[in-house]
Amino acid sequence: MAEIGVPPKARILAVDDSSLVRLYYRSTLEKAGFAVEQSINGIEAMEKVLLQPFDLVIVDVNMPRMDGFTFLRSLRCGANEVASLPVLMISTESQMPDMAEARAAGANFYLVKPVTEIELVRHACVLTGVSL
Amino acid sequence: MPLVRGTGKGSAAGVSTPHPPKLDSPDDESRWAGARALAGHADAVPALAAALARETVPRVREAIMTALMRTGDAASIEAILPYLRSQEAGFRAAAIEALQALPSAIAPFMEPLFRDPDSDVRLLATELARNMNASEATRLLCGLIEREQHPNVCAAAIDVLTEVGTPEALPVLEKCAIHFAATPFLPFAISIAIARISGSEG
Amino acid sequence: MDDAEGGASRAVRISAEEVQRFCDFLYRRTGMSFTEGKRYFIDRRLEDRIAATGSTSFQSYFSLLRADADQEIEHLINSFTVNETYFYREDHQLRCMTSSLLARIVSDRPPGSTVRIWSIPCSTGEEPYSIALWLMETWPQVDDYNIEIVGSDIDTRALRAAAEGIYGDRALMRLSRGVVSRYFKPVADGRHVIDDGLRDSIQFTRANMIDTQDMMRYRDFDIIFCRNVLIYFDDSSRRQAAENLYDCLRPGGYICLGHSESMSRISPLFSVCRFPDAIVYQRPEVDLG
Repeated sequence: MAEIGVPPKARILAVDDSSLVRLYYRSTLEKAGFAVEQSINGIEAMEKVLLQPFDLVIVDVNMPRMDGFTFLRSLRCGANEVASLPVLMISTESQMPDMAEARAAGANFYLVKPVTEIELVRHACVLTGVSL
Repeated sequence: MPLVRGTGKGSAAGVSTPHPPKLDSPDDESRWAGARALAGHADAVPALAAALARETVPRVREAIMTALMRTGDAASIEAILPYLRSQEAGFRAAAIEALQALPSAIAPFMEPLFRDPDSDVRLLATELARNMNASEATRLLCGLIEREQHPNVCAAAIDVLTEVGTPEALPVLEKCAIHFAATPFLPFAISIAIARISGSEG
Repeated sequence: MDDAEGGASRAVRISAEEVQRFCDFLYRRTGMSFTEGKRYFIDRRLEDRIAATGSTSFQSYFSLLRADADQEIEHLINSFTVNETYFYREDHQLRCMTSSLLARIVSDRPPGSTVRIWSIPCSTGEEPYSIALWLMETWPQVDDYNIEIVGSDIDTRALRAAAEGIYGDRALMRLSRGVVSRYFKPVADGRHVIDDGLRDSIQFTRANMIDTQDMMRYRDFDIIFCRNVLIYFDDSSRRQAAENLYDCLRPGGYICLGHSESMSRISPLFSVCRFPDAIVYQRPEVDLG
């Protein structure tokens, strides 16, 4: 958990249907000073970004009811202040076409699972503009 | 005092004429109604399967899958299974959701799915074990993990075991931790799974 | 002392790992999550449910819960949230209706057109009557349109009570004295009956949300209030009910769920809409894909 009394570096929404992945992201990013919220799929993620301010969304691809690509496309084409939220897509797919599809859908960055803690923190810092 | 005006009894029905239900209609609404009308009809499975192969509108696809799910026999499952291989993430997710509602009917398909040459299919299939009873799910997932080389497939199996795994899974998980000791995330995931399973021993 | 009795009255010990397993399941299934500070609250509820189901261990209870035996999901959720019905319950959604939804709904419709609103399940009528009262009290254009309000439930006893329109103080607790005096008359034993005109303007029907044949009789609703029921249904019933409700909505129509419910646990068919007073869901105007 981030230090008590110290404001978080930035607010991140971690979207993945695996509770273990969300726990991994949360514990890694909280240790690095971020505040982390979670969602289980694209629908819950959309609700949360519309209700609270975030600086970055980390999103999986394969999720029930609304996958990561559908979420990303909905986010980007919405005519509101969340449309330009930075998005880090983290997926099990490692082929070039998948990365191209992620870029085309509007992802700012794309990583392949499983990611190391340092990769996660470095990318979170770059995409939120905070120092390591 | 102003009163809320109703048009009296019988107005619940609404005003529009429903589009005629027709599975092969060019009209989205008719295909939607056609699929819904065939829910649970075992003899309609071939027609629904054919419709699913052509369908591009997501909500009609949902309705076709629901119709197949309501029948829930082996033929329905065979009709849905190919979409685990779809290039479209949404289609894959829809297929898993429909199959997840059929834990008994899907049971005979689990071993073949867990032995599929495509790691993406094996990964998605782990989710189907979640709604099974704990010992059956544990048996299937442990069998998978013991053979599995792909870290993401193991991670997915471990996630399900974290919820439903019995102590029988512990030796397999410990071996898995050694095998993937240098892989990111896996050691973390396995330690959580082991703690949850051990912490549930009576 | 009888062994069986002794066993049942001794509280089952629950480990921290078991509570975590339970919380992960509850979050996945319902969207409910709890901060560390609420841990005691969960422990108590869990103990209560284990005892109430006669489970002899957390593990046997958890298996029962995952299989949703005897509607355990419903009993569990009810132990966490008070599911009382009363007038103007969750009024932020009523406010959303008059502040945001109705303007959009009537924007392409001439005065005198019909606006159709459905309360399903309507239980003993508090919700559909609340909708009517709220419209009359707060919507300036209430007289400009023909408003049809339908209240449906699977429970015919509840429907009979709804049609009678008699309520006690508790049901009226959120209503101002002015509203009560304008729309209710006192009757025996301290209760009130809702005004005749209002009573007659709501159409009460019996409907089963999961029954497609049943639901196909209803069409073209502009707003559906479906609060605090879908979350209790099993996977396939939730899916079927959501599809049925979608079919009953006009394209562009809205559906409001209960305060702790989300379409993320129910169906991919609807879009998420954020308004100042509430998040509601919309049947898209046009199909995508």
